Amino acid sequence: MTTRTSHKGTLGGVVTGAGRAASRTARRLGHVSAQPTLGTPHLTRGADLVVVLRAVYGIAWFAVLWNHYPAQGAAVSAWAVLLVVIACTIVASRAGGDRMPHWVFALVVAGLMTAVVLDLVAVWELRDLGSTLTAATTAGAALLLVVTQRGAVEVLVAAGGIGLVLAVAMIVNAPPGASLDADHVAPQLATLAFAVLPAVIGVVCVHGYRGMVQRELDRVQVQSNVSAPRYAVGMLASEELARLDFAAERLLESIATGKSALPLDAATASIAASLATELRLHLIEGRRETWLYHAVSESELLGRSVTLVDKSALAGLLDAGQRDGLLSAAWMLVGDVRKKSTPHRSITIQLGPLTSATASDDHKILVPITMTSVGIRRNRVDPSIWAALGRVGRYSDSTEAGSLRVDIEAAVDNPVEV
Amino acid sequence: MDLIAKERDRVLQRVARAYGLGFAIVSGVCFVLPGAAAGSTELALGVGLYVVLGAAWSMIGTSRHPIWLLLALLAGLGILAIATHLGSVTVSRGGMLSLQLLVSGSLAAVAIVLTGTAPRIVGLGIAFLLVTGTALSATGASQAPLRTGGLLLLGWMLSAGVGLWISSSVPQVSKRIASIGRAHRAERQASELEAQRRQSARLLHDTVLATLTLLAHSGVGVTPEALREQAAEDAILLRQLRLGSTPTPQASGSYRLASGGEAEPELGRTLESVKQRFGRMGLAVNWHGTGQVLLPSEVLDAFLLALAECLENVRRHSGVTQAHVTITDDASTVRAMVTDAGVGFDIADIEEANLGFAESVVARLRDVGGNARLFSSPGAGTTVVLEVPK
Repeated sequence: MTTRTSHKGTLGGVVTGAGRAASRTARRLGHVSAQPTLGTPHLTRGADLVVVLRAVYGIAWFAVLWNHYPAQGAAVSAWAVLLVVIACTIVASRAGGDRMPHWVFALVVAGLMTAVVLDLVAVWELRDLGSTLTAATTAGAALLLVVTQRGAVEVLVAAGGIGLVLAVAMIVNAPPGASLDADHVAPQLATLAFAVLPAVIGVVCVHGYRGMVQRELDRVQVQSNVSAPRYAVGMLASEELARLDFAAERLLESIATGKSALPLDAATASIAASLATELRLHLIEGRRETWLYHAVSESELLGRSVTLVDKSALAGLLDAGQRDGLLSAAWMLVGDVRKKSTPHRSITIQLGPLTSATASDDHKILVPITMTSVGIRRNRVDPSIWAALGRVGRYSDSTEAGSLRVDIEAAVDNPVEV
Repeated sequence: MDLIAKERDRVLQRVARAYGLGFAIVSGVCFVLPGAAAGSTELALGVGLYVVLGAAWSMIGTSRHPIWLLLALLAGLGILAIATHLGSVTVSRGGMLSLQLLVSGSLAAVAIVLTGTAPRIVGLGIAFLLVTGTALSATGASQAPLRTGGLLLLGWMLSAGVGLWISSSVPQVSKRIASIGRAHRAERQASELEAQRRQSARLLHDTVLATLTLLAHSGVGVTPEALREQAAEDAILLRQLRLGSTPTPQASGSYRLASGGEAEPELGRTLESVKQRFGRMGLAVNWHGTGQVLLPSEVLDAFLLALAECLENVRRHSGVTQAHVTITDDASTVRAMVTDAGVGFDIADIEEANLGFAESVVARLRDVGGNARLFSSPGAGTTVVLEVPK
């Protein structure tokens, strides 16, 4: 049984429990975070294509160099091993799931290393590794085949390993007294780059792509809050309530059937106490939370950097269009991270307090909304944010001590008149 | 602009940065090797431009402004011009490799971001022609134009392919994500309904909570039989709730109230059931005053919950087995006075220790516009006055 820390601020009040939000979201969205693979089959196919093209290019050079090889057997076996590894990896990644098992990955890396070593052996005598290695550089690029199926670090380490082997070989292989001039060193550097860079670029690409998919998923989930009623219990509340009800049912049943002896022992009594507390909290809590609270607490991105102050639960009064605008604006302000060096980019959204002067005659009241940001400069704000804010209501912006402040007046139906 | 399009651009920018910067670094390192640049002036100028190129690529990773692309291209072309003296000097093999890495690798990375929309593709074409033209005319003396041009084309096609490949998957992914969003919305609505159903079973939860509270005190003060009976009843109700119906506690149970379907249930009937419940637990409740008050169901709920909570406190803390409840009403208010002749307490002590009272009694009544007041002193019993509007 989990004991909850009491959070008084949850009743339409201050939401700062980012940690709580994140963990609950993570738990809840298990089925979603199991899907960062969305779209990666496409990336995998692209990577396969690049590797195949690279192999064709390598083989072309191999054919050109054929007559120069001192050890033709080693050169042929290097390419044979490499092609077998490439073919098997493509098949395995098609047949296998989203993630390649450790032993398969180990086999792939071992196979690539074998190809590298064989290729080195084949051209060792020529003393010009920069211009004669073919299978070895292709082997480095072949790591792209597994870039969607293994962790970034693993792929980078493997690429680094191949690069290191090549670099050491180049140093050892250099003829004694060779000069360090461009004509000798540049081809070797280029070879190293062609072996290592594809994997690095691939890792960046997959990482960025997954981030995009994750963020979009997060956003559509948060977006579904826009159509929620004024007060909603949220996605998690129902499940929690069902769980508590069920726990209570079992406890009561065990007492009714005499399985638990009366008077109860201390442990069971404390379970009953915490169940009652949790249940009570849930029955009170659920009614008071607005869509915006749920949106912020359910989203990984917003939960981390948005502080919501909405003591009177005024967010619930906004209509769907206004909610969408507010949410989009918050999303863009927070999500538009241009530099990693500004991690404390955060915004505070405050709704209310209502002032008496805000009542107007057409059955509408004006809800003052203030968005204060930290770490976001006025000229760095994406223009589409202003369009989104325009959908919420009349707004004006100002800059306070380097941070942006937007005041919005949202006209909403007066709940008293409706 | 579409948010997903923005996200896509961000991915493309990051990839382009890795690609462009990676090749720029390798090319730059080759360029500073002895023998690559024709002289120290060229070396100094070239290094300066490489720094500019690197900076431009860093900016392209985060900024969508086309000026950075232009800067990267200009820096690259500048290096080309300086290294070859606008084509009038033959470059060494190493120097040529450095330039080739520059134009077919680093500069080609602009193609990654220049895909997706028509203006960008036009920009890509112009950039390609510009770089190819300059490269061919500048390096004609150093390397066979066919080789230079072939490698250029290969590099640019590769990076444009990467960009196109990434962009082309976005609409598909976006569609899938949208359908996940729809599913999520449906799930949210369903869960909302389910939670409301459970929460609306407030009376049920109230008896469950009361029983759980008893159990939390190990069931002391109540006969085991009565507690078992109550537990069995509550378990059955919870089971019904779990299986999808909204159970209404029935006559033999603690409440006889319908689940709020009636607009104005009668107070009298329900008070009787509260009395029965506490009777079973060993607290005799004596009613005084009117028993025929009509209240809106929401108000009635809160009123009864608060009342039961007060009686539970009496049962647990007062040390007596009898409580009096006096119900009075006037034009606007229904008032219940819960009195016992028990041990009483000092209000100053209890209000800090027993937050349950504030939460369960006062908060519930305030919800419906009512109020609660507490009077007690040690040895003089306790009186609670509950008020709700009619």
